[in-house]
Amino acid sequence: MAFGRLRPLLPYILLAPGLVFLLVFFVVPMYTLLRQSLNEGTLETGFHFAWNWSNYSDVLKRYDEQFIRSFRYAATATVLAFILGYPLAYFIAFRGGRFKSYLLFLVVLPFFTTYLIRTLAWQTILSDQGDVLTLMRDLGLLDITDKLGISQNGRLLATPTAVVMAITYNFLPFMVLPCYVSLERIDRRLVEAAQDLYGGPVRAFMRVVFPLSLPGVFAGSLLTFIPAVGDFINAEILGSPRTFMIGNVIQSRFLELNDYPEAAALSFILMAAILLAVLVYARLLGTEELA
Amino acid sequence: MAAQVGAHSRSRRGTVSSVLGFIGKHALTVYAMLVLLYLFLPIFVVVMFSFNDVEGRFNFVWQGFTLDHWMHPFKDPALKDSMLLSLRVAAISTVIATALGTLIAFALVRYKFFGVGPTNLLILLPLTTPEIVLGASLLTLFLVLNVTTGFMTIVIAHVMFSISFVVVTVRARLRSFDWTLEEAAMDLGANEFQTFRKVTLPLIWPGILAGALLVFALSLDDFVVTLFNSGQEVTFPLYVWGAARTAAPPQINVIGSMILLVAVFGIVLAYLLQRRRA
Amino acid sequence: MPAEKRLWTPAPWWSRRVSRRGLLRGTALGAAGLTAAALVGCSSDDESSGDGATDALDSLSISNWPYYIDADTIADFQDATGISTSYTQDINDNNEFFAKINEPLSRGQNIGRDIVVLTDWMAGKMIRLGYAEELNKANIPNAANITPSLQDVPFDPGRKYSLVWQSGFTGIGYNPELTGRELTSVNDIFDPEFAGHVTMLTEMRDTIGLVMLGMGIDPAEATLEDARAATEKVQEFVDNGHIRAFTGNEYGDDLARGDVWAAFAWSGDMIQLQADDPNLQLLLPEEGFMIFSDNALIPKGASHKDAAEQFLNYVYDPVNQALISAYVQYIPPVQGTKEAIVDIDPELAENPLIFPDEATLANAHIFRNLDEEEDQQFNELFQALIGA
Repeated sequence: MAFGRLRPLLPYILLAPGLVFLLVFFVVPMYTLLRQSLNEGTLETGFHFAWNWSNYSDVLKRYDEQFIRSFRYAATATVLAFILGYPLAYFIAFRGGRFKSYLLFLVVLPFFTTYLIRTLAWQTILSDQGDVLTLMRDLGLLDITDKLGISQNGRLLATPTAVVMAITYNFLPFMVLPCYVSLERIDRRLVEAAQDLYGGPVRAFMRVVFPLSLPGVFAGSLLTFIPAVGDFINAEILGSPRTFMIGNVIQSRFLELNDYPEAAALSFILMAAILLAVLVYARLLGTEELA
Repeated sequence: MAAQVGAHSRSRRGTVSSVLGFIGKHALTVYAMLVLLYLFLPIFVVVMFSFNDVEGRFNFVWQGFTLDHWMHPFKDPALKDSMLLSLRVAAISTVIATALGTLIAFALVRYKFFGVGPTNLLILLPLTTPEIVLGASLLTLFLVLNVTTGFMTIVIAHVMFSISFVVVTVRARLRSFDWTLEEAAMDLGANEFQTFRKVTLPLIWPGILAGALLVFALSLDDFVVTLFNSGQEVTFPLYVWGAARTAAPPQINVIGSMILLVAVFGIVLAYLLQRRRA
Repeated sequence: MPAEKRLWTPAPWWSRRVSRRGLLRGTALGAAGLTAAALVGCSSDDESSGDGATDALDSLSISNWPYYIDADTIADFQDATGISTSYTQDINDNNEFFAKINEPLSRGQNIGRDIVVLTDWMAGKMIRLGYAEELNKANIPNAANITPSLQDVPFDPGRKYSLVWQSGFTGIGYNPELTGRELTSVNDIFDPEFAGHVTMLTEMRDTIGLVMLGMGIDPAEATLEDARAATEKVQEFVDNGHIRAFTGNEYGDDLARGDVWAAFAWSGDMIQLQADDPNLQLLLPEEGFMIFSDNALIPKGASHKDAAEQFLNYVYDPVNQALISAYVQYIPPVQGTKEAIVDIDPELAENPLIFPDEATLANAHIFRNLDEEEDQQFNELFQALIGA
């Protein structure tokens, strides 16, 4: 049969359509992005390729604040997501029993609603004159949070807190699910043995369970951190000009000002910075396995 | 099993650690429930305000209950058009991305070939690139090629970021597939086609379906990449974005809740079907 | 991925055995994929030939700012002329909208719209770039009804390319219940009491213009140095969190919620908002305020130029204009609207925000007409301000 001759080619035939698609619509755009970042000119005068490295230095100088802020917010959000999400994942994996699937479903369900609708809901919830804030104001909580720097002048909207909280919220399942998968895979007999060995569930957790779940934590952190750095919707809807992230700048440069070269340079720097952060993180955790 | 472990602890280390364990166990449950509650808080708000009997333009103060918006969710033709567009884009993207992604997943799991590493990398990269960079870079490609952004470009964009998700999902399923089943079926006299149809496909089908559903959900919800590549076309998330600038009509809450209901319905259906099959 | 880290390695001795099965499987899936591609090809042909212009092929397509038309005019127009009309409220900011249509227009492509409504300076930019079709006045006899003062403007002498849609004032919209007092001056917006509850507009000319007036500078004479001074002043208040946001139309929502207590706002918006919340007020500051016009243009390459002109003719009939005016409550550009509106709502005829008298107009200022280079310089200053 003719199949015989095609045999060794089979994987490539299977791969071809998808990989070609990705090559054309993912890899090539990276190249055009790079080229665009080295252009100069405006949309009206036309863009010309000019090895314009000054785009990079210009935007780094002008938007360093937004860059740093984005990483800060994303890192904070990731940590918060871990604090909130890991115990939940642990709970579902170890205590879920028959209800595991249902619980997982519950975790994921809110995120079927459109991202924007959820974020707008937070705008309503945290509204200055809304119920939550009024309650907090009446209870005197806002004074406390003002002193702690969590709220500003008695409001939560248009503060970094709101933005970080919303980012945490929106990416929580990305932390919960990988952690759950990792935790779920752990052989229960190992846990039992560890508890016998180390004298108590807490130590067993620290010595055995948690380290075994690290791949999940790693994946979850990345899946939370990376999109969070580039996010701009939360900052736009719930923040203020002082909470603008690099995503806001890129969006504005690209879509409102048509300043493609600078926007492209910003995008590239963002990608490079994320890659760097991920590599450092991977080194720290000592693992390269993902998802 | 927890009870067994508990028994060991109690007998060996006394009541202190068992009490701690008890508190710990319930603290965890309470904590987990609180987090779940937190996850659902905005959803409650969204659903609640879909029933709000709004007088004027704005929907953020409860004014009364009405089913009006649920009766006429598509009062705004722009909303209807955007929803239709989103569904069309999602349907087409799902088919293409699932097909392409499944093929890749198969190749990666079943065969050893030259270039596995780079392939894995290529699959991984879109997942680890922020959406804004994905959207912006794709736009630069279309600019260079002088392609007008619109329906086609939205579909291309959606397929582009979805393929990786399909690969990861299907691959996970394929990895847990016991290939010896195929050999067994063949040994028992089935030919390749029968084996594929009766043995392989039914067992891996959930993985492919999961991938497809994931793509559909991602496509329906996508905002950032679409924002950069939609031109004049308005998908549902883009519509929400625009409407929120002035005053989001309660119908948006209705549609959001509907999507939720569909998801619940789908899962329930899948669960029931599985029960019947088992 | 290094081999030793993989959880499962395909055993090589499978490859000979499964190749045919794999091929079959692959073919099945591949066929599915190809079918899908074919389906895409079919449906995309329908779309890409239209691609935004699909609308334009079977209907008049209008893009406008939100809340800029009443509920009936479009339907009435369709009934009167039989022209199927689609009206999209997708303009929230001049720069943002321009950025969207700039790309296709620069390539000479149809943007799928027959009428777009943009503020003076942006309309001027469109005309300067050759993005606007010349109006066939023979199709728009009612254009003669235009308010005389609007007939000749620096960016479009003789109104060859544009017709005013509505005019309006930019002042300070505020909620006296929240601010605790009535406001009188532009600089009231900088009151420390309102910190974090103030917004300004993303419109450079509106925001910087008002701030300049508060500093005693006439925007009609503004130099780059003046703009710099004004921007620096505002920058202070951005940095200390006084200014909550720079908005397009969003301030309406914010004011209604009570998140914002005072905002730079447009006159018609405020009157409309007062219907929902009578507390809200519009201040036309004592130092002066800005006046603007939004202009309807027909983009180059529009598929239904005649229909567009018919529409413009329709709305320039005072009777029809009165209907629009009664809802949007901006300043109509059509003579005779005041008389016509008496039939709908006599009170509106007396509203100085809709039909301003000489005294009010005397305090209204326009921003100096900037040439291309200046436009860029001023814009850059402002972008640095709002982008921070």
